[in-house]
Amino acid sequence: MANVAKKVSWSGRDRDDDEDGRAGETTPLLNGTGPGAAGSGRQLTPSPFLRIGQLSNVDLNEEVHELETEVPRQRPNEIPHNEKLLSLKYESLDYDNSENQLFLEEERRINHAAFRTVEIKRWVICAMIGILTGLVACFIDIVVENLAGLKYRVVKDNIDKFTAKGGLSFSLLLWATLNASVVMVGSLIVAFIEPVAAGSGIPQIKCYLNGVKIPHVVRLKGLCYKCPSVPYQAVPTGGLASSMSSLKLPSLLFQIFEYFRRDTEKRDFVSAGAAAGVSAAFGAPVGGVLFSLEEGASFWNQFLTWRIFFASMISTFTLNSVLSVYHGNAWDLSSPGLINFGRFDSEKMGYTIQEIPIFIFMGVVGGILGALFNALNYWLTMFRIRYIHRPCLQVVEAMLVAAVTATVGFVMIYCSRDCQPIQGSSVAYPLQLFCADGEYNSMATAFFNTPEKSVVNLFHDPPGSYNPMTLGMFTLMYFFLACWTYGLTVSAGVFIPSLLIGAAWGRLFGISLAYLTKGSIWADPGKYALMGAAAQLGGIVRMTLSLTVIMMEATGNVTYGFPIMLVLMTAKIVGDYFVEGLYDMHIQLQSVPFLHWEAPVTSHSLTAREVMSTPVTCLRRIERVGTVVDILSDTSSNHNGFPVVESNPDATQVAGLRGLILRSQLIVLLKHKVFVERTNLNLVQRRLKLKDFRDAYPRFPPIQSIHVSQDERECMIDLSEFMNPSPYTVPQEASLPRVFKLFRALGLRHLVVVDNRNEVVGMVTRKDLARYRLGKEGLEELSLAQT
Amino acid sequence: MAPPWCLCWALLPALALALLGLAAAAGPRQTPALELAEELAEELWSAGLPGDLPELEPECRSLLAAFAEGSAALTGCLGRRARPVRLCQGCHGHYRRLLAQYDSIARAVGNSSESHNCAKSILTSDRLQIVVTLSEFFNETWEAANCANCLKNSSEGLSNSTEEFLDLFNKSLTCFEHNLQGQVTDLSPNNYTEVCKNCNETYTRLNDLYNHLQRMNRQGGESAHSAHLCIDVEDAMNITRKLWSRTFNCSLPCSDTVPVIAVSSFILFLPIVFYLSSFLHSKQKKRILILPKRIQSNANLVNIQEKYS
Repeated sequence: MANVAKKVSWSGRDRDDDEDGRAGETTPLLNGTGPGAAGSGRQLTPSPFLRIGQLSNVDLNEEVHELETEVPRQRPNEIPHNEKLLSLKYESLDYDNSENQLFLEEERRINHAAFRTVEIKRWVICAMIGILTGLVACFIDIVVENLAGLKYRVVKDNIDKFTAKGGLSFSLLLWATLNASVVMVGSLIVAFIEPVAAGSGIPQIKCYLNGVKIPHVVRLKGLCYKCPSVPYQAVPTGGLASSMSSLKLPSLLFQIFEYFRRDTEKRDFVSAGAAAGVSAAFGAPVGGVLFSLEEGASFWNQFLTWRIFFASMISTFTLNSVLSVYHGNAWDLSSPGLINFGRFDSEKMGYTIQEIPIFIFMGVVGGILGALFNALNYWLTMFRIRYIHRPCLQVVEAMLVAAVTATVGFVMIYCSRDCQPIQGSSVAYPLQLFCADGEYNSMATAFFNTPEKSVVNLFHDPPGSYNPMTLGMFTLMYFFLACWTYGLTVSAGVFIPSLLIGAAWGRLFGISLAYLTKGSIWADPGKYALMGAAAQLGGIVRMTLSLTVIMMEATGNVTYGFPIMLVLMTAKIVGDYFVEGLYDMHIQLQSVPFLHWEAPVTSHSLTAREVMSTPVTCLRRIERVGTVVDILSDTSSNHNGFPVVESNPDATQVAGLRGLILRSQLIVLLKHKVFVERTNLNLVQRRLKLKDFRDAYPRFPPIQSIHVSQDERECMIDLSEFMNPSPYTVPQEASLPRVFKLFRALGLRHLVVVDNRNEVVGMVTRKDLARYRLGKEGLEELSLAQT
Repeated sequence: MAPPWCLCWALLPALALALLGLAAAAGPRQTPALELAEELAEELWSAGLPGDLPELEPECRSLLAAFAEGSAALTGCLGRRARPVRLCQGCHGHYRRLLAQYDSIARAVGNSSESHNCAKSILTSDRLQIVVTLSEFFNETWEAANCANCLKNSSEGLSNSTEEFLDLFNKSLTCFEHNLQGQVTDLSPNNYTEVCKNCNETYTRLNDLYNHLQRMNRQGGESAHSAHLCIDVEDAMNITRKLWSRTFNCSLPCSDTVPVIAVSSFILFLPIVFYLSSFLHSKQKKRILILPKRIQSNANLVNIQEKYS
């Protein structure tokens, strides 16, 4: 077995083998995970274990022989983290509505008008999501602005003081400590309290909308911790860590309305939250909706579009109103967005057909640089997952990055001899250092500014205000710093840093173009800065449609729509040739069982029989309570859905499928002690309603907290009116793409595989499908792993 | 066909001349040619030729003449004080007067009929609207120079802070001159240390005062325009700073290179240590592989195997 581990591992450390052996003896046997594990339930189709799951791209000829000899040895096998794993940590969401009898009864009871109020409530919730998102975005913006202002002022005063007296190394230390301590606060929150708040939040939201339940991602708690930690990151490293965090809001809201306590509704509101977040951040309501469509929502319909659009409209409006009051000119709503890229003068800045090749070239450069960024970040993230997994180490790393960022900035400023006249420039914190009086260090403005402001400056400063040398050094340094920063345990995103990198090299490109063409009118550096920003961001995150609209809305410019589209498309195509997008990459590195749009193309020869997990733990229609409790409390098999079969006194005989029941439903049933005996004795005060199930949502109590006495264990429980009587099934012979399509399109969580006598032979879940992937050398199979 | 056309021919130059003449009459010195033109216009007017043409009433004409005179004076003043910039100190009187004159044109109703009031006939009766253009130009210049900033609120005379600043400015200039006198023969760029030492105090005070003024100003107004001090002060400061930093080379030298390099290389070294140590000492995170339960089927293996080969 160690052989396999060694082949899979690419760090190739020989110590693995020994550890392997030792761990194998001490670690308890973990022999079941797939959704049909060997619990204490009936094993309908007993079959020996087979470790196909581990065969990830290894030489199989050899493996076949090994398998035969190794089958009896079943011990957990440890390998270093790699990208070809699926984590057990992640569960699916239940998008499928359980159409049990209770549901039908409720639907009969509620009349037509009531359903209309439900629809109205949905709109109200969307409005509330918009308002709250706007408010959160405002809060973040204001705090970031003030904190960053405070920091720059303190450091500037300090540098000014020490320039005259000598002892600039103290200023450097002050800056570094200030950065590090601020990051420490934010990082401590993320590392120790709420790991989900790390990063920009877009990968998590993408997973969530795909149907993967990321722990804590839509909890109020997450938002509560994210909010304060965001400003701390934004201050040193820069980057509106994105008010994406605000998409956590829906969780709060849908709780209010009892009807919406379902995963399906929650998913819709999360998409609305995502749209509202982008809309508030960039002042781009349409861009927000498209972002939600392109990056987020795996399930989409027209009504959802309208509601999402409504939410993002309300969010923009709220943000504008609050910010207008904050900035003193109340009710002036014409300066939308936290990040406003300023207006381009469209008369001056047209473009002609000669420039189209130039734009395409910039797109190519952006794609290559984006791919480089992603590749570097990939190695870094892999290293982080493998070696820097302890929270205290993560905090130390974040602090070090912050300190180094400050140091690099300081050294660049110190070494720069590029002085620009202070007169007539819009520098917020001009730092003189060794420049002549009345001039400022132009490198300092690049580092002494929030990145959003720097981007705006790069777009709009008149030609000649940047020295190419300064700009080049800045781009280079910032590229590596941004790459290093992304993936730290801080809530910093990638949007603004990559815009800044792109704007810097785009401007550099524009300057050199103007130089080559002897200062032609059309070679305006600001225009190329915009294209560069678009190319870089497109090359990193690989968005096209939504990014085009976001850029257009944020610059308030339609003229550049076409060049931006062109640049983004080129960047995406070129980038995709090398590596995948940053968000997809991180999803994969986190071992999330993410379902793409299509099954791998070469997988038609795989059938459901090979894909499914088997044997399946089934329940009888009238089941003994003790059995249910035992199945649920079996730690080795944390299954969530159980096929219900006809109660047959003869347990050995295979019985036909009758329905599907979820763990959560079983727990509610046990909690309310809905046992046949009690009903017969009229001990039950009232019949269980759908409301009882909803009240428990989304945090069903664990099975351990439910007390079942010895006597009750002998009772029987009748599942027939609670189970979903018509679960989706596939025959054994269905091909993988067919199964995949059904599963993916309906957003299923459990897909029962039956034979031609309608007997349960297996169960297909998300992890069974997600493990097939098209790798570089054809179809690959990912391994399941505990993380 | 002919008569209107002829009339036009005859009238146009005359009218042009008349207008020219009016403008010229306003100026302080009149060239003989212009006087001639004006006389011609007078003649035409008195001959009653274009009797039905709307023409300026005498009151309006005097107003216009006053405006022309005022604008000429202001233009002269601005031009003469362009370098070194002394616009606000020297021309604010002219500017105020011109404003008053323009106001009186704009407000004058004239005494005949409503259709003939001066504002209308002077300001809006032709495409060019030269009076409006002129007055706009002056206003914009004044705004751009931001002169209001160093004048008193009633705009009579310079404000106290500006006076103080100019005092100090003159003091520094004299200081520079004094200290340069000794070495006037030898002007090699390195010989200014004397100046740097002796005038440092005055210069620093001047610089501080300027910075103080700037800060006060920035707090006062929010709009981008009022972020500037008035051009006189800014220019004076610019000249001094240029002298100080460029000509005398008194600005701060680059210092502290060694400690800065030491500290920064120390900090830059930290992550390397951190990553190396965590690579060597931290236990690599291991994932426990889980064995999934599948049907054993050789077809499965064969399938996958085919894909790999």
